Amino acid sequence: MIQTLASITLRGLLNRRRTLLLVLVAALPVVVAGIYRLSEPGDAEALEFGGRLMADFGLGVLLPLVAVIIGTATIGSELEDGTIVYLLAKPIPRLLIVIVKLVVAWLVVVALVGPAVALAGLVATGGDAALAVAYGAASVLGALEYTAIFLALSLVTSRALVIGLAYVVIWEGVVAGLFAGTRIISVRQHAVAVADALGGEGAVTADLAVVAGVVVAAIVTLLAFALAVRRLEAVELRGDTA
Amino acid sequence: MSAIVLREVSRWYGNVVAVNDVSFEVGPGITGLLGPNGAGKTTLLHMMGGFLAPSAGDVRLDDGPTWRHPDIYRRIGFVPEREAVHAFLTGRQFVLASARLQGMSDPGAAADRAIAMVDLPDASNRAIGGYSKGMRQRIKVAAALVHDPPVLILDEPFNGMDPRQRLHMMDLLRSMAAEGRSILFSSHILEEVERISDRVLVVVAGRLAASGDFRRIRRLMTDRPHSFTIRSSDDRALARELLAGPEVEAVEVRDGMLTVRTGDYGALTRSVATAAQRAGASLLELRPADESLESVFSYLVRR
Repeated sequence: MIQTLASITLRGLLNRRRTLLLVLVAALPVVVAGIYRLSEPGDAEALEFGGRLMADFGLGVLLPLVAVIIGTATIGSELEDGTIVYLLAKPIPRLLIVIVKLVVAWLVVVALVGPAVALAGLVATGGDAALAVAYGAASVLGALEYTAIFLALSLVTSRALVIGLAYVVIWEGVVAGLFAGTRIISVRQHAVAVADALGGEGAVTADLAVVAGVVVAAIVTLLAFALAVRRLEAVELRGDTA
Repeated sequence: MSAIVLREVSRWYGNVVAVNDVSFEVGPGITGLLGPNGAGKTTLLHMMGGFLAPSAGDVRLDDGPTWRHPDIYRRIGFVPEREAVHAFLTGRQFVLASARLQGMSDPGAAADRAIAMVDLPDASNRAIGGYSKGMRQRIKVAAALVHDPPVLILDEPFNGMDPRQRLHMMDLLRSMAAEGRSILFSSHILEEVERISDRVLVVVAGRLAASGDFRRIRRLMTDRPHSFTIRSSDDRALARELLAGPEVEAVEVRDGMLTVRTGDYGALTRSVATAAQRAGASLLELRPADESLESVFSYLVRR
């Protein structure tokens, strides 16, 4: 049952053209890193650039972009085209549906972002594996938090993609950068804090202690998860004419 | 044997009332839910299927409410109207997934049996994306009955089917009903409902306009006053002759058009030609004035 649910979810995600486009987007930081190496930078400079590439582009742009597209599509696309009815018309606890879908979506986001971030860092720094692994690992945790948020969002509004993108740009991109107090609830800051703690402290440092970051991230993820379950339990299907 | 019971059920969306104080019970056999588009049929079916909360009243399957009780899907098979299916799956994969999600012990055998029932084995290894409308409809039915549920709910199952597929689907529903299942399907086409339903529910504008066995409803529909408009070479002479017949209740001549009201549809159509002959008028046009399904329904509601 779980295997069937997971495989349909995965096939649904991979069959979307958007997902394939994301592979190209994910390749971008690696390409950028490669071009950067052509300029034959010094070691210190390369470390700085590699850190910025992974933190600002990897965790700051690529991760939320991939997570918002995958996260909102996981259940959202089925709600949109009506195929959700085939899932809802089964005697499966809604909690289980959300768990399986969240895990699948998370793994897809990780597969798209994690290797891209680590590889970009590895290339840019000329082989600093510790930094690359730290950021790759941070993207795995950030991916879970983002995906849970966007999956819940898609069960709250049918405009989840637009609202999710606005949140990424406005909150994660601008507000959390301007005001120190808001950083405690920024997914990007949580991820960077984890990267720091794992030995990635370099060009970009988090303004957040790693414990605070991980605790808040866990709370946010759980709340988003609980909200998604609640919403799925009460999701109403209306006829086309209603 | 299972039954779905609705008691004083209403459903509204904001200010719009989609279903208004409806009570009925669907038991074994075939029940047709008949009504024009937008009458609230899908809203009713979705409430019965547990996909929509009633705003008032309650909807039960046997003894438990359907809303927020996923367990009911062990006993209900639901065929939605919307065509969307996971287009990337083959027909067999789709039915097999249904069997697995139902937690069946031998999903492969169940899927094969269901596919055979809807007579689609040849196409079952092709992606559903390439199916015709009628084939999609049948694979949806196969997925809904793969776990052999005692209750089957189908929303406009005959839509998009050619006559042969329609007959086959009717046979299928009949044979499942004969096994003691409770089957409810919706349609806006009188003939479909008439041909296979043991019992009919007529819904108009969110209300239950009539219910019972089909012959009673058919009589209500045919016994109602009918209007015809007639154009002839001499409307007044024809009107005089028609009014002499017992079946004609009223005639009206206005704007070069003769309107005749009758309580007996058949008698009028038989007598109009001879009346024209007696009046020495040539008939140019004879047309039922209000034969749309909507007018039939609105008559039932006003009654």
